[in-house]
Amino acid sequence: MSPALPRRNLLKLGLVGAGAALLPMPAMARTQARIVIVGGGFGGATAARRVKALLPSAQVTLIEANPVFTACPFSNLVIGGQRALAEQEFSYSALIESGIKLVTAQARDIDPIARTIDCGPDLSVEYDKLILSPGIDLRWSALEGYNESAADVMPHAWKAGSQTTLLRQRLETLRDGETVLMSVPTAPYRCPPGPYERASLIAHHLKTRKPRSKLIVLDSKDQFSKQALFQEAWAEHYPDHLEWRGARDDGTVSRVDASSDTLETDFERFQSPAINIIPPQKAAFIADRAGVTDATGWCPIDPLTFASTLQPDIHVIGDATIAAPMPKSAFSANLQGKVCAMAVARTLSGLETFPTVLANTCYSYTTPDEAISIAGVYRNANGKLQSINGAGGVSPLAADKGIRQAEAAQAAHWFDTITAEAFG
Amino acid sequence: MPKTSLRIACASLGGLALAACGGSSSDGSLSDAVTAQTSAAATLVVACTGCHSGESGAIASLDLYDADLLRETMARYKSEVDGTTVMHRIARGYTDEEIDLISAELTKP
Repeated sequence: MSPALPRRNLLKLGLVGAGAALLPMPAMARTQARIVIVGGGFGGATAARRVKALLPSAQVTLIEANPVFTACPFSNLVIGGQRALAEQEFSYSALIESGIKLVTAQARDIDPIARTIDCGPDLSVEYDKLILSPGIDLRWSALEGYNESAADVMPHAWKAGSQTTLLRQRLETLRDGETVLMSVPTAPYRCPPGPYERASLIAHHLKTRKPRSKLIVLDSKDQFSKQALFQEAWAEHYPDHLEWRGARDDGTVSRVDASSDTLETDFERFQSPAINIIPPQKAAFIADRAGVTDATGWCPIDPLTFASTLQPDIHVIGDATIAAPMPKSAFSANLQGKVCAMAVARTLSGLETFPTVLANTCYSYTTPDEAISIAGVYRNANGKLQSINGAGGVSPLAADKGIRQAEAAQAAHWFDTITAEAFG
Repeated sequence: MPKTSLRIACASLGGLALAACGGSSSDGSLSDAVTAQTSAAATLVVACTGCHSGESGAIASLDLYDADLLRETMARYKSEVDGTTVMHRIARGYTDEEIDLISAELTKP
């Protein structure tokens, strides 16, 4: 914020002062609008910083339950043993220094009519514009037997933090020769290629540390992101350490029993001391409370502004949205945060928002120093996100190791730049 | 919102509101500043900065480019039919006009 208004503006303001009483008040409300962001991940932190930069006089508040953010991208390297969880952690200090008010609390309820957010018995936050970046919740018990207490035994590790550490511990204490199991849901879920990157890095761990062990991936679908590239890498690197079974091969897990370390498909029963369940998901519960989810459990949006199509003055960004063909990725959330912040600033300034071009890039490691990528480019005109013909796609098959290593280096660089843009 | 009405609204509130309006650019109103910072070009480049806002390394820094070089580089990525890098795949999604806007915006001093 500039410290003082230049003299020539003061003079102009003085001249018009006499007519002020006749003017409508909303203009003032716009300049000092209360803009609240719920959820401080890649989407919410980015949106908060961008909206504060565009509207320095607005009251920008970020409501986030955790004092420190733990990033999911690259957390598969923690599970694989290549990276420390501390490298995944980011504070909100840069946001606070930029003038954003941080409320460390769990948003419990939202009243879209009164425009208030209930953050507990002593705290209610009012908003003029709300940007929800709530992330996902796991659909507990959608997979029979997989509830919150089962997750203490069979980690999901689909929200980074203690669950990531637990899955890593399961791999460390595994005895050579024991099998590791992973259950993968049908789409949509957070980070479409994530399970297969994780499978690759677990298989790498087994190959190098527990050579008589193997990972069996039990998948509820037959097709997945970057499939040909992953399967090429698995055939090359992990022929004895990774077995993938799709839905057609009885891969769908129908029931788990945490007390006996077992999984069941239609025809088979599996047992392991190291089971990773990636369960079905939905938009986090606060989106339900705000009335911005539809029957799918996810949030329909206008892709021009990321405004909810169900409630006024609420925008939704990130994994919680229905934004396909844009995937549920950190890149998408970060970009949607910027596009949404710009749309909110324009709306509050009386300006229309116009269509633009959005993009996504996701890297996945197949070994600790090799990666593959998928990119997409999208237009957000005419009320929908559409992939641009001829653009996007995946890394080449049968590529030199140098190309895979170059993409691994790009992935590491990407993590540094995107976390800097989101968290400072 | 028209520029004048915002200025008048600020004026009507005296000193406190003046401070609140102090975030506006020095040569115009708040909406002028937002207009400039959310132009078509400024909106396009937010898709670039998630990767290209750091030091040079495995991902090129934009500090290495002027507008002409960036335009030529993007046009080459777009036209190389056999290219398989991430930037080849992304550049194909943009029109020549969008590449012009992006090249100018990202290399602004």
